[in-house]
Amino acid sequence: MNSSTNPTGDAARRPHLNRRHFLRGLGACVALPAFDSLPSSSVLRGADAGVPPLAVTGTGAPLRTAFVYFPNGAIPSAWWPEGGETDFKFGPTLESLEGVRSQVQVLGGLDHLNATAGNDGGGDHARANGTFLTGVRMRKSATEIRAGVSIDQMMARSIGHLTRHPSLELTCDFSRKTGGCDSGYSCAYQYNISWSSESAPMTPEGNPRQVFERLFGTGAAGERAANLKRRQQEQRSVLDFVMEDARAMQGRLGARDQEKLDQYLTGVRELETRIQKAERFGAAKDPGIETPRGVPPEYAEYLRVMYDMLLLTFQTDSTRVGSLLLAHDGSNRSFGEIGIFEGHHDLSHHQNRPEMIQKVADIDRWYVKQFAAFLERLRATPDVDGRSLLDNSMIVYGGGNADGNRHTHSNLPILLAGGGGGTLSPGRMVKHGGKPATNLFLSLADRQGIQGLERFGDSTGRLQGI
Amino acid sequence: MDAAEVVDTTTTDFNRDVQPLLAEYCSDCHADGESKGGIAFDRLKLEGGHPGSSELWLAVLKNVRAGLMPPARKSQPTDAERQRLEQWIKREAFGLDPADPDPGRVTVRRLNRTEYRNTVRDLMGVDFKAEEEFPPDDTGHGFDNIGDVLTLSPMLLEKYLTAARAIVDQAVPVVPGVPAEISVTGRRFRKDPKESSDNPAGEGPLSLPYGEAAVVAHAYPVEVAGRYQLILDLTATEKFVDNVFDYNRCRFILSVDGEPVLQREFARESDRTFQLEVERDWTAGEHELRLEVVPLTPEEKPVRSLALRINRFTARGPMEPSQWVKPKGYARFFPTDPPADPAGRRAYVSALLGDFASRAFRRPVDAATRERLAALAETIYSQPGKSVEAGVAQGMVAVLASPRFLFREEMVEAVDRGRKHPFLDEYSLASRLSYFLWSSMPDDELFRLAGLGQLRANLSAQVKRMLADGRSAAFVENFTGQWLQSRDIESVVIDSRVVLGREDAPDPERDRRMARFRELRMKDEESLSPAEKEEISELRATIFRPGRRRPELDRELRRAMRRETERVFDHIIREDRSVLEFLDSNYTFLNERLARHYDLTNLNVLGDDMRRVELPPGNPRGGVLTQGTVLAVTSNPTRTSPVKRGVFLLENVLGMPPPPPPPDIPALEDSAKASKERPLSLRETLEIHRGQPLCSSCHDRMDPLGLALENFNAMGMWRDRELGQPVDPTGRLSTGESFTDVRGLKRILATQHQRDFYRCLTEKLLIYALGRGLEYSDVGTVDPIVDRLERGDGRPSGLIMGVIESAPFQQRRKAGTDGHRNAAGASGQRADLRTSP
Repeated sequence: MNSSTNPTGDAARRPHLNRRHFLRGLGACVALPAFDSLPSSSVLRGADAGVPPLAVTGTGAPLRTAFVYFPNGAIPSAWWPEGGETDFKFGPTLESLEGVRSQVQVLGGLDHLNATAGNDGGGDHARANGTFLTGVRMRKSATEIRAGVSIDQMMARSIGHLTRHPSLELTCDFSRKTGGCDSGYSCAYQYNISWSSESAPMTPEGNPRQVFERLFGTGAAGERAANLKRRQQEQRSVLDFVMEDARAMQGRLGARDQEKLDQYLTGVRELETRIQKAERFGAAKDPGIETPRGVPPEYAEYLRVMYDMLLLTFQTDSTRVGSLLLAHDGSNRSFGEIGIFEGHHDLSHHQNRPEMIQKVADIDRWYVKQFAAFLERLRATPDVDGRSLLDNSMIVYGGGNADGNRHTHSNLPILLAGGGGGTLSPGRMVKHGGKPATNLFLSLADRQGIQGLERFGDSTGRLQGI
Repeated sequence: MDAAEVVDTTTTDFNRDVQPLLAEYCSDCHADGESKGGIAFDRLKLEGGHPGSSELWLAVLKNVRAGLMPPARKSQPTDAERQRLEQWIKREAFGLDPADPDPGRVTVRRLNRTEYRNTVRDLMGVDFKAEEEFPPDDTGHGFDNIGDVLTLSPMLLEKYLTAARAIVDQAVPVVPGVPAEISVTGRRFRKDPKESSDNPAGEGPLSLPYGEAAVVAHAYPVEVAGRYQLILDLTATEKFVDNVFDYNRCRFILSVDGEPVLQREFARESDRTFQLEVERDWTAGEHELRLEVVPLTPEEKPVRSLALRINRFTARGPMEPSQWVKPKGYARFFPTDPPADPAGRRAYVSALLGDFASRAFRRPVDAATRERLAALAETIYSQPGKSVEAGVAQGMVAVLASPRFLFREEMVEAVDRGRKHPFLDEYSLASRLSYFLWSSMPDDELFRLAGLGQLRANLSAQVKRMLADGRSAAFVENFTGQWLQSRDIESVVIDSRVVLGREDAPDPERDRRMARFRELRMKDEESLSPAEKEEISELRATIFRPGRRRPELDRELRRAMRRETERVFDHIIREDRSVLEFLDSNYTFLNERLARHYDLTNLNVLGDDMRRVELPPGNPRGGVLTQGTVLAVTSNPTRTSPVKRGVFLLENVLGMPPPPPPPDIPALEDSAKASKERPLSLRETLEIHRGQPLCSSCHDRMDPLGLALENFNAMGMWRDRELGQPVDPTGRLSTGESFTDVRGLKRILATQHQRDFYRCLTEKLLIYALGRGLEYSDVGTVDPIVDRLERGDGRPSGLIMGVIESAPFQQRRKAGTDGHRNAAGASGQRADLRTSP
């Protein structure tokens, strides 16, 4: 007699994520010494003499940058701390950061003037969203998309070759409404913060299962690396074929169509590079946890899992650049779990009614709370050099609207978390007094080791004293 | 002869015919130093050989046609004068040639998620859940099939490759023979063996609780003796109960022909699925399978309803290769067996993959492509242990990942038919038709006609056939779903408790309790004192008042609403009824749930099926304005939004969307402050808002439309009161017509604004059909279709054929003429950017 019992992957396909299950697994993963998870070839390379410090810290550990976007601005009075540079006191919105206070900088006085109306009229939400990481004025059009390369993608161009994935784009805003988006702007501006060229948004991934499988392969823990490798081998011959198809097709098309084929070819090249890298670097360390089961029904859980994906990506050195769109600017999500049934965007136009202002501040606070939990998990995760992941990261948390009620784009709510591998001086609140937010991005790019980036978007220089 | 055609023969001259009109009717605000809205007609620059830009004249045309300009209080031009102006704009400012219209520019279109899914279904017979696997497509002009906006990121390309593999793996068998496989579902296992086992009601999974001893059996008939693999597929299920565990266990025994062959103990297994396998040599005849559950923990409390769910039993065999059968789906992809000799194989593979690629690429592929595919296949099947089928499958993966599959490349006819711009070739036309009406690839009949060059000649018969085909449901779903935004009903967030609560007078005490509830909920769970926890549950109970009438906007109701909108559209198209019935009709489509929601309980509408229901005389329902979808998707989570509803109607019914709100919205709080003694109704607040000149020009148009719908709450239910006050649905449109409630408004829209609606619908359909936004040059395409609708009493057949026969659908702009004038038309801003220093 021949018998066997095979648990199958049915559970993995269930749409509802079993929260405790997943997090329990992740807890185990977080406790892993991070040394194991890095490809040996890329570890500590930067410490060699003569090699420029590209995307590494002084100790040679990887240096990572992430950008997290939250929607609809923040109630200024509740957001901004009171007090001086180091003795400031968090207001209600940022209160939950108290535990990681020494790793957070509150940056005042950063602007995005290209998100203002200018000659373009309404559409502050689309602009806030699309300008945030690009710093450029977007073309106001439903179909002719023209934004700019975003700072994360600019970084990925220079340091993307160091890791298995050049960058990672995530979103927790996966459902779309029909109809037009904001005031004649294409929806592409509002649902993407990362742009690889002025017309090519880097569509973010919203399904944690797929993020995970892209990073580590499909199937159960232990089989994933082999599955990923097999898939990539199969893809090779296909890539040759489609590359030839795409080139031939491009020759037949007009200028605007060629742009589309360019996007296709870029994707093919990137995948080819990835396959080569997989051979060079070997497989990413399997975190040994259960694959997440798709989009969790609870929003808090969704955010948590996506933050965890970002953490895993950094921990396994799968990429050093990430972006996460928590919700698009203009998002009208309601927060029944904290007793707020009105939509966030509707509330943000609060007509100065105290109860509405309070609700918006509560939502702002809720978002920050999820972010603070992420920072705490980063801090609890050791990096290759014995410091924490948070020490070796630069995490920007912010939005392109300052006061959501009046649609202002000056003195934006922006936090910079992490130690930047010792290059940042967190634990402070600094008022920068009306500088382009892109100045901050340039300064981060410098630290990330990017060479030759003189200007970015509307930058006027480097941001001093971060 | 039409009036329009009479004017066609006259030529208009700006200085002689247009200038005097502008001077007479427009100069108060747009000349002599006045430049409202930034427009001064006495200071126009020459652009493209005429004064003023095409964008300016398009705005003039739209405003004059919609009756917005000159404003109602100013003196009005005569019909002849209007026509003269229109004529000049169309012929001179736009340079339109009615005999040879400009088809406009389309960007090569990537398949969107829906089209991808449908195309894969028709090509491969696989239901691929593109909505789960691919990121959402961006939209432009309200639709998700706009070429310019459909981008392709490296991540999506990767997903396309993964999907191609997964689809081929699922659809295409890579071996010529497999053991036969027969499955029965769990409910074929019976407690009483005498019970007939082929009772059709006995299908589906069978659930056996851990706590109940049970023996069930099934007699399995074996036709051919041999070795069989027996697979039992079961799931250890549980119901989730927060913070409580369940320690129950049971033993499970599988016996075959009276012999226990497998035992296993089950505890809580977190909904895992198991496949229990054994092999047996079976003779022909019946064999008994018996499943037994033995409870092991009678003393434990059952908390999570632990149970074994028997999904199915499968017998695979006989395992001897001589008894193998063709795998499922084999004939679909391999109509004949592959030959054994290498040359024959190569030819076989080349032919097979060439034909497949021709269907997938929606036009015949050349010999070179066939050869490349065959070579690719050969690299696989020449490996040891790989079948020819596996090679073909790899070729198919490459086809599904090719840009020729993912993009709809279009080609034009070589022959010159005396028009300035060439006609699409017949294969491109076939794809335009199929993606328009089916959101999928062409079928064999369309391919056949295109191959013969007979499609264009049989257009109207083919369109009839395509609309009658079940695949046209995709047109109904995707077009109405986006035009009327009825798709969004699935996800719109509406809080029924708060919405229904708004019918009552304001309750400060409840608000206070609510605020306290929120305060407590913001705290960390761990830091709450027992008293606070107690308070939370007490507050929850009183705020949300259980037991009150609470129709949730649940999935079934949402679905019924969406189906109503779709069924009405479908009905009008199929019966070729006037499209004005979208606005005003004495019927709608309901099922029991929706009828109850609409308070139409006396019409004897029972069950889940949607059916046509005649509405009682005087009932306000009927028409899109009163459909649950429209009413809910234009609402905020807690209340209606007359402004959003007004904008919706302007945009999707009247075709004249208001400009976006100014960046610095004047503070509504001033209005709120105006009355401290009592809270103002929305109508009153809006009234004060409209009093400000900056707001009035748009709110005068939006508000009356939206306020007329105030009798419907945010869930689309009828109400007479809001916040304890009677609803006032009366109003007067900015174009002058008065009404007393939504019934009057519907009548006015369907009669006085008929032409606006025809034009709006035509424009939306054209955008959807072409996959691009409309430009000024499309006025020459839209107008004749609107005329056709008007002459044909609004029949949709005329509309759909009008779109299909139009120049933009049939032709492509001549290569190399994506020139200056038109490119500038597509984006005034680009021109601005070029000229600025």
